[in-house]
Amino acid sequence: MQRAEELNLIPWRRATRRSVTSAGARMLVLALAAWASISALLAIWLPLQVSVITVFLFAGPHNWFELRYFLLRLPVRFGRSRAFFLTAFAGIAFLTLTYISLPLIYNFNLWPGADWSIPIAIWNTLMLVWLGVLVWLRGKLKPRSDWLWGIPVAFLLVAINWFVPELFSLGIVYAHPLIALWFFDRHLKRARPEWLPAYRRCLCLLPILIVGICWKLAPTSPLADDNGLFWRITQHAGAQLLPNVSSHLLVSVHLFLEMLHYAVWLVALPLIGARGRFWDVKTVPLARHPRGFPRLVMAMLILGLFLAGLLWFGFSVDYTTTRDVYFTVAIAHVLAEAPFLMRML
Amino acid sequence: MMQKLFAAFFFVAMLAIPIFGDIARPNSSPKPAKFVTYSGLEIVPDAKGNEARLEIPQQLWKEMQAGVTDLPANPNLAQRIAQSSPRTVIAGLFLFMSVSLTGVWVARSGQKNQKIAAALLLAAAVVGAATIITRANAGPPGYIRWQNLPQALSEGRSTQGGVSIVIVPEGNNIKLIVPLHKSGKNPGEE
Repeated sequence: MQRAEELNLIPWRRATRRSVTSAGARMLVLALAAWASISALLAIWLPLQVSVITVFLFAGPHNWFELRYFLLRLPVRFGRSRAFFLTAFAGIAFLTLTYISLPLIYNFNLWPGADWSIPIAIWNTLMLVWLGVLVWLRGKLKPRSDWLWGIPVAFLLVAINWFVPELFSLGIVYAHPLIALWFFDRHLKRARPEWLPAYRRCLCLLPILIVGICWKLAPTSPLADDNGLFWRITQHAGAQLLPNVSSHLLVSVHLFLEMLHYAVWLVALPLIGARGRFWDVKTVPLARHPRGFPRLVMAMLILGLFLAGLLWFGFSVDYTTTRDVYFTVAIAHVLAEAPFLMRML
Repeated sequence: MMQKLFAAFFFVAMLAIPIFGDIARPNSSPKPAKFVTYSGLEIVPDAKGNEARLEIPQQLWKEMQAGVTDLPANPNLAQRIAQSSPRTVIAGLFLFMSVSLTGVWVARSGQKNQKIAAALLLAAAVVGAATIITRANAGPPGYIRWQNLPQALSEGRSTQGGVSIVIVPEGNNIKLIVPLHKSGKNPGEE
């Protein structure tokens, strides 16, 4: 009799769960739409000033949260994925070091000839070949799926890179913030699959807002980049490479994407994936597992906190130089996103 | 008879030398103008100023100097590709490898992937053809931005658009030629 009563309750429970789910999805859509709209307005209104403040406040902390997220997703034992992870870590280390050496080679005039696009093209090629190898290795771990398409795509991108190396590098600058949205998509699929359709519909707002920013700012005058810092911000957004596009437009679009990127890493992913307090090392499986490495995880997270604090100190003392150093060294986190994203596909 | 004919031929040939009879008329057109660089131009009406002022950014000035001395300054995309043959060769090599490996992948993969690849190829062909037909990659013509110049000047607003900087061999004044077409008509239609 009691079972019969429970049977009657099942549709009611399902309906309740569905209503809770739809309420959560609605909240997610509202929050994302509100943040995207606010970001777009701020990026249009005060692009340089907001860019300075945003990087100052969020650059370091978002790297710490990324580090923590990657540690969460790292298996205790690599097992069959050993080749994949070794290639990933070796590539991150090698490509980061070579990327940091590029400005040094430039400053000490160590490259023969004046064509600086060639070292850039070589570095981009190495990165794409590394990504191609990672795709291939990941494909080997998933025998049912065909990942071999990654190789011709990587070669196609290498070809495009050799045609326009500087523009290709600029493309990475603009594409990188979007990767966070992909991470969030994958994470939702695992943690809250019922929210995924609402999130994907919400993503349609992104091109609309970008087109809106372009429409609004295309006829505007270039930003007054008369000091070293503002000049660096406009250069980072591609003002020199795209002289016929208003630097106001470029900086605003880039800032808009960066603000979304920071919001995903600092707020959305920690909230959705929250399993306990984020500062608790035991929430990281790599530290919690009996055969794990709690001290190593703790040391890495403390070192990350120290570096974030050091970054704040550097920004306070000499913002311009610290910004240059940060965006050079930060290539490591850009590269690290690739293998962890592939692991989630 | 042959001697007279030869003498007459010789006489005509000798005349041809002083009057340059076998040389085409020299081209009376002046030396061609030289394209230096492309930049943005903003025309700003100033109600308080006494003299017109031409402000040139330092970077643009360097580009103009480089353009005059034939140094590569900030070439456009096509020029960049054309001027760097090693890069073009390497890009072509990777493009070839990409296309070849795509073929291998399609051949090795199942029928579903072949259908996807065929659909992608067809879509690329359609988009490419549409691009060529509509000249969609040409971008809007430069004169569009100058259409509202007279109205903007009368209202005291600034106007911004692209400008080709050309060094001309003659003249003493800086001349700004602004394309103003009748609205709704392309240059070819007038």
